[in-house]
Amino acid sequence: MTPLIPYPVVDLGPLMKGLVIGGLGIFHVFIAQFAIGGGMLLAYLQWLDMRGQCVHGRRFIDGYFRVLVLISFVVGAVTGVAMWFTSIQISPQTIGVMVGEFHWVWATEWSFFCLEVVAGYLFYRYGSRLPDRTRLSLLVLYAFAAWMSLFWINGILTWQLTPGAWLESRYVWDGFFNPGFWPSLIFRTITSAATASLAACVLINAVPAFSREEKAKLIGVCARPLIFMLAMPLLGVWYFATMPADSRGWATGGSVPMTMFLTMAVGCSLLVGLYAVVAILRQRLFINGATSTLLLALAFVATAGGEFVREGVRKPFTVRQYLYSNAIPPDAVADLRRRGCTTDDPYPLRDAEAYPTPQLKLGAKAFRVQCSVCHTLEGVNAVPELAAHWSIDQKRLNIAQLQRTKPFMPPFAGTPEELEAIVQLVTWVEAGRPPQWQPSNDPAVRQQIARWLDEAGTGPGYELAAAAAAELAAAGSPLR
Amino acid sequence: MSLPFPFGFPAATQLYLVLLVATLLVHMIFMHYVLAGTAYLACGRLFGRQRAADCGWQQRLADWLPFATGLAITAGVAPLLFLQILYQREFYTANLLLSHRWMAILPVLLVCFYLLYLQKSSWISRRAWGWRVVVTWLAFAGFGFIAWSWTENHLLSLDQQAWAALYAAGELRYATAGLLPRLAAWFLLAFPTLAIELFWQGWLVGEPLDRPAAESSRVLGLAPVQRLAVMGLAGLLGGTVALIAYAITLPVETRAAVTGPLGGWWLLALGLGFCLQAAVWGLALRAGRLGRPLAGLLTAGWLLGLAGLLAVREVIRLEAVDLEALLPQHERAAGIGGLPVFLIFATLSVAAISWSVAAVRRGLVSG
Ligand code: HEM
Repeated sequence: MTPLIPYPVVDLGPLMKGLVIGGLGIFHVFIAQFAIGGGMLLAYLQWLDMRGQCVHGRRFIDGYFRVLVLISFVVGAVTGVAMWFTSIQISPQTIGVMVGEFHWVWATEWSFFCLEVVAGYLFYRYGSRLPDRTRLSLLVLYAFAAWMSLFWINGILTWQLTPGAWLESRYVWDGFFNPGFWPSLIFRTITSAATASLAACVLINAVPAFSREEKAKLIGVCARPLIFMLAMPLLGVWYFATMPADSRGWATGGSVPMTMFLTMAVGCSLLVGLYAVVAILRQRLFINGATSTLLLALAFVATAGGEFVREGVRKPFTVRQYLYSNAIPPDAVADLRRRGCTTDDPYPLRDAEAYPTPQLKLGAKAFRVQCSVCHTLEGVNAVPELAAHWSIDQKRLNIAQLQRTKPFMPPFAGTPEELEAIVQLVTWVEAGRPPQWQPSNDPAVRQQIARWLDEAGTGPGYELAAAAAAELAAAGSPLR
Repeated sequence: MSLPFPFGFPAATQLYLVLLVATLLVHMIFMHYVLAGTAYLACGRLFGRQRAADCGWQQRLADWLPFATGLAITAGVAPLLFLQILYQREFYTANLLLSHRWMAILPVLLVCFYLLYLQKSSWISRRAWGWRVVVTWLAFAGFGFIAWSWTENHLLSLDQQAWAALYAAGELRYATAGLLPRLAAWFLLAFPTLAIELFWQGWLVGEPLDRPAAESSRVLGLAPVQRLAVMGLAGLLGGTVALIAYAITLPVETRAAVTGPLGGWWLLALGLGFCLQAAVWGLALRAGRLGRPLAGLLTAGWLLGLAGLLAVREVIRLEAVDLEALLPQHERAAGIGGLPVFLIFATLSVAAISWSVAAVRRGLVSG
């Protein structure tokens, strides 16, 4: 069984932890895309410039690179480290497993970071004084190193949703080259190229020294990589095909927010793609500063939507079939139902005196371990609000059969006592945290909870649904 | 343990210990440049525009500090990785206990990074001198805060007894007797590294540091090399005092491990390295110049000293943690594939980096 290490749980108050890591992730991914695509675009421009096919290319490359360094070398580098540190704050077990399984992959990625930083800085510092060939070599090296960092991290991120053969073999390369690897890599490469092109359009418009005609010409060249966006629908379909059916289901109607975010991502990409084809590539319209900024903002929204969906569809896991969203491994659930999820937790409550009974204290501890990664008590996605209209028995049933209540939640992994304590806690908060609270210790209630827990089993919701569907099919009747 | 660090541990643990110490040493090279460099610059700025213009070191630091910061961050990633293999529970727990306070190093790092770009920008050169003073002092304060946070986090990760109580109290700060002397040691020992780095930077751009200095290059009557020597000697002396103060705060058994077979040889290396550096800087201070052979010896002393320091640092940690509980994780990690791939790509990256530097040098000559 996977060992469970009890960690102190961070309290982010009313903030949902997923939103914190998601928000930072979106920001970091966008900057990283800019750096990766920027490298490729500048290498291309340099090559065109050397062939005399890009007027003002050299000047623009140096200016663009300056921005790239100031944004991506600084914000990109720091948000990269921040992603790591924030992951530790949100789910130390998850990042611990990822580091453990892929540390050599991460170390390999790091070696490319080093190359990216050195090649990039050499160009930034000396580029304007170097001959063309050296400039091109540095830009190619920079672009290659930046893209390789995408290559390596992409394997780890896609493994989380589609670990594929790794689940059986535990072989690192089975996990790395998982089913989602290639569509995601190509998709992200194109997204990076598109982001850099749109950023270039913004920058070109920001250079007062260029005439309108010069701007139009440069924009025409920089926009060329946008043509690859035409492949995005196909890649999207390919990526979706590699997803587990239940995850696909969330994004295609099963979960309203995820479907909306997917629609947002697709819609914004479509708008950018259409505008790119009609206005920029066919040069029907001049794209000014405002329009290019708007297009870049749309690309950001598309990235945000896509990242939200990517994070969301993993539920109820952080690593598919290996670690539930609350960092409890599936093979530990049965044991925790016997021993309790708070038994080995050495950390006391910070606000113990706020809870009038030991049962509520137990509830607060169990909530912290089981629910707090996605829920709060009085903030975003607060359980007392979500369950406000449930009867007390409904709360017991719905929490005992969490994976049936909403299949993107993991099964409950604690004792009936802990479950009842959470029910009492939620009801107490709903009641406005009164100073007196009657504990519930009816053995019949606990027995009923235990029966419900057994009934639901310890597997994820989609397995229950599949089993039920198979049973119905075998019985030949939709009404049972 | 009867063998010197890292021998005597299981092979997997040895591997990750060596990697941690080696990569941390690289992080220190750049981190020292940044920490001591901003301190030097911040103090130098107090002496006004003319002094700053006279002092070549200040100009060099102002120019190179942003890049060094980028390198310090990049070089920090590798030890961060191996740290999570070796002491995952300890490191994560300390991170979580310090929580927002710990996470604050990231926005501070971001701001400091931009302040370093700002202090070399043309924008600031058009402003009153006071702006530079403020900007460099802010950057120094920021890096000081980051160094303090790393030391605090490290010490907390070793103090398992304090974890539950600290969590319950909700305090996002950990104070212990060893904190100040340890932080002081890191800060002060950053100066000898900076002094050597500045020397080699000067040598690379062809400064005549092995010859008597021109009168125009003197500041406060000191030649450029003499200023480095003062910096190096003061750092070594202050750092040694801080290390002794820190050692006094350690439990007796830990001190015994440091002076015993596990850490004793490394302590010796540390002492030897410090003495060698002090001797060479002493000569340079008297002569007002430093030739390459002596600088080579100085660098060897510095490397010996820093390697000794980092090994002793690890010995202290190994005494504090429950190593037995950690060994299975090291074993498991070492059984996971990917090391050959890392070695191949790391070699290629190093080759590409070397090639880039050489190509730029060639390009600048021909250009
Ligand atoms: C430029 C700003 C930074 C400064 C001034 C700084 C300073 C320090 C100091 C003083 C230590 C020694 C702590 C001790 O032993 O008491 C340290 C260790 C370390 N630093 Fe940095 N650091 C900086 C940035 C970073 C960054 C951005 C990373 C990660 C990407 C990093 C990774 C590490 C690691 C992994 C250790 C070893 C920690 C341990 O062994 O417990 N540092 N740093």
